[in-house]
Amino acid sequence: MAADGPRRQPVTGLPLAAPGRRTHTAGPLHTGRSRRSPRRRALLLILPAVVPTGAVVLAALTSALLSSLGLTPLVGQPRLTLDPWRAPTDHLWTAAGLSVAIATAATVLAALVGLATALAITGRRRSGRLLALLSSATIPVPHVVGAAAVGLLLADAGFLPRVLGVETGWPPLVGGRWWIAVVAEYAWKESAFIALVVSSALASRVASYRDTAIVLGARPWARLRYVTLPLAAPALVASAGISFVYVLGSYEVAWLLGRPSPEPLPVLAFRLFTSLELTARPEAAAVAVATAALALAAVAVAAAALRRMEGWR
Amino acid sequence: MTLGARRLLPGLALLLLAAWFVLPLVPLALWGLADRWSAPAVLPQEWGLSGVAEAAEQGAGSGVVGSLALGGLVAMLATPLGALAGRALASRHLPASVLVGAVLLSPLVVPPFVVAMGFDVLLLRLAVPAWAGVVLLLTVAALPYTTYVMRTAYGGYDQGFDDEARTLGASPRQVVRLVQVPVLTPALAAAAFLAFLVGWSDYVVTVLVGGGRLVTLPLLVASATSAVGNEAQVAALSLLAVLPPLALLLIVAAIGRRGRKVRA
Repeated sequence: MAADGPRRQPVTGLPLAAPGRRTHTAGPLHTGRSRRSPRRRALLLILPAVVPTGAVVLAALTSALLSSLGLTPLVGQPRLTLDPWRAPTDHLWTAAGLSVAIATAATVLAALVGLATALAITGRRRSGRLLALLSSATIPVPHVVGAAAVGLLLADAGFLPRVLGVETGWPPLVGGRWWIAVVAEYAWKESAFIALVVSSALASRVASYRDTAIVLGARPWARLRYVTLPLAAPALVASAGISFVYVLGSYEVAWLLGRPSPEPLPVLAFRLFTSLELTARPEAAAVAVATAALALAAVAVAAAALRRMEGWR
Repeated sequence: MTLGARRLLPGLALLLLAAWFVLPLVPLALWGLADRWSAPAVLPQEWGLSGVAEAAEQGAGSGVVGSLALGGLVAMLATPLGALAGRALASRHLPASVLVGAVLLSPLVVPPFVVAMGFDVLLLRLAVPAWAGVVLLLTVAALPYTTYVMRTAYGGYDQGFDDEARTLGASPRQVVRLVQVPVLTPALAAAAFLAFLVGWSDYVVTVLVGGGRLVTLPLLVASATSAVGNEAQVAALSLLAVLPPLALLLIVAAIGRRGRKVRA
């Protein structure tokens, strides 16, 4: 999310202790009861957001981990065991592989389309603005609605085979072997997100650099290769990383547009969690913990890539 | 490359990109206005609003109310908290700001279904009402967005405005009310919009933690989509879930344009 961080950070929140103005010694937002240090003030401002976030995420992960180790069973005695991790082992590996494959395919496609869209948006005035409007219109579409729309588009009696005049032999894109509809829905929604992040990162900086490059005699291809793409890269990596993690942990699209088996991680976890068998709860927790670990690993890779990039910050 | 091709290619690419974003929404709009549309016809045979009537029978009304309430509550909670946090992060005085930033971004990393499953047991043990649990988890999920938007806004905020107002004799409260809030209104509107979307669009947290008692539009869309042969109803429910946030987006964009004009 921190793709387009502010480049200058004016010092805000400093108490304005101008000499001779003792009537209002405190800074803005401050009711003036006492003089607080800027550090303490910043801490007080951030606590209402950090405490619930940290508590919810930490408690959820701890609770899932304990459950997956058999320590918080709904019935019976707590007993430390790795059985919940072993029970769906082959499922777990298959699901993890499938989830990573879907997320990779969707993210690569979304990054390509998103980057192309961002370049088109920043490159041209009129048509760029229209494209910006069209792509940002997909941002408020809920993923579950996106799944419904892609289903109506790609199913075998859907809109696309009708437009193309294919009456028989339309490939099973929805619920088929290659998860085409699932990948298409994620790529559609996430490409709009990536286009938004990359184009706003480019909008603020690319013009001056491009003018300099033109003055120095750079050809269009050289400008793209040595000016625009390096400027876009950090925003692209950050937004693609967020998209990958989102797709990895998203349930409803794979459930609605995918085939019943094999299942990706969130679908497997959801089925186990809502199963009537109480022993399935710890297994669901194991799948959930595995998904979170994969997501953390993906973010670590993206963060490492960002750190190596020049121009970050 | 000839001159003609050089002109044609970017135009073609632009057309393809536009089609990529618009195409999935076309069948949605057509099905929403179709009474009968059997294959292989490219356009509906009979136009009408039977899908809307079917959707209303399926409880679309209460779905709209549930989604509005959920989105509204999440926006009302996550926007002010994100504004405070964004202000703290934009000031350079925050101790351990890297760690704090990581905690605030963690809901983007840990998938919502994982948080919902892990937290569900705790909510049951603490006897928290289901709707309150859903609001809590979605507010946490919305905080990274509101914080990021407000942090960027405060990062670009000119401290000189405050100084000037204070020099002219404004109290700290007046500075917030008469200077900061008006200047930051576009950012506040954008943050509130994103937080609203988190609540309005959610499926998995509402199902897992809400336990079916809280009915929202995404739940209705999902259950209609998982059945077969009711495309008109799916489309009507989907349009109902898309049009209100689209209208909000236009309002937020208008506020942003006005804000830019005020500053310029």
